[in-house]
Amino acid sequence: MSARRSGLQRDVLNLYRRALRMVKTKPPSTQDKFSLYIRYTFRLNASSVSPRDVSAIEHLLRKGKRQLEMYEQPSVKDCWVSEDMRNWQRNSHN
Amino acid sequence: MSVLSLATRRLAKASITNTRLFSSSSIKLQAEPLQKPVLNKEFKIYRWNPDEPSKKPTLQSYTIDLNQTGPMILDALIKIKNEIDPTLTFRRSCREGICGSCAMNIDGQNTLACLCRIDRNASKDSKIYPLPHMYIVKDLVPDLTLFYKQYKSIQPYLQNDNPPEKGEFLQSQEDRRKLDGLYECILCACCSTSCPSYWWNQDEYLGPATLMQAYRWIADSRDSNAAKRKELLQNEMSMYRCHTIFNCSRTCPKGLNPAAAIAKIKLELSAD
Repeated sequence: MSARRSGLQRDVLNLYRRALRMVKTKPPSTQDKFSLYIRYTFRLNASSVSPRDVSAIEHLLRKGKRQLEMYEQPSVKDCWVSEDMRNWQRNSHN
Repeated sequence: MSVLSLATRRLAKASITNTRLFSSSSIKLQAEPLQKPVLNKEFKIYRWNPDEPSKKPTLQSYTIDLNQTGPMILDALIKIKNEIDPTLTFRRSCREGICGSCAMNIDGQNTLACLCRIDRNASKDSKIYPLPHMYIVKDLVPDLTLFYKQYKSIQPYLQNDNPPEKGEFLQSQEDRRKLDGLYECILCACCSTSCPSYWWNQDEYLGPATLMQAYRWIADSRDSNAAKRKELLQNEMSMYRCHTIFNCSRTCPKGLNPAAAIAKIKLELSAD
């Protein structure tokens, strides 16, 4: 990717970075699940909208921020990983 | 035909002839029920589905018979949801203007759907939008997270370090009267979302609903934290973004006057 990014691209990357930092604060045994959930959700949403559809991306950003605020709470210690996510992980590594 | 279906048919026939009427006069002598004419009216409702974020919001039109509907906009919405389109989404709860859930923009005016009568003029359509300048969760449901955060920021609860030794705080009748017109607010967000100042500075300006509640606690004789509450508002943005536009007082579905409350805060702050 080129060095100059649009404001929206930076917002998305900042959210992704914040989400990955959130994973580090969770118990070590569940970190894999959190990181799989984060990566899967970002990839899925990124492929679902056109990069030109600014309003849709902004909506997904707001939604993501709200979700992340919830996950960042220290009382959240585990997350659920669906079969789709595991399949996606297996296929992306091969 | 099977034996079973024959039996059920015979049973059904028997029950029709043997139906017991609740009226004491015979059917011939009863007055005929009034047949109301059909009065179709068109409602144009804002639709947007978060599951398909790449699709643009649209106005969807529904036509219903006003003579088969209750008198209020909320009745029409519920009828549409029940009978025409179950995917239509809106908040509602008390249907009597006390919960503030069904705040929306009806024919260009922010109001509660349960307190707003349907215009009986069937030749004109009614347009229903969510509260303006708010992020939308779905259809007519706005995201009020920021609004509630702002309300929380003014600490809307009694603060007094010296509780009375016995029993409750006492208050004179004049002091109680100061709270009239303030405590009735149901936080429906109609006023805040009608305020142009709030549209442009939502992140910093608190908005009329929150400011009126701030004044409600400043004016309360039982609260001893008024100085600190005033200090929180003593900056450029929190309150002084109010330019006395008066949209808040004009739109309030409960007939309250947030603009007057803000004016009173300004008066008290200027005396500091």
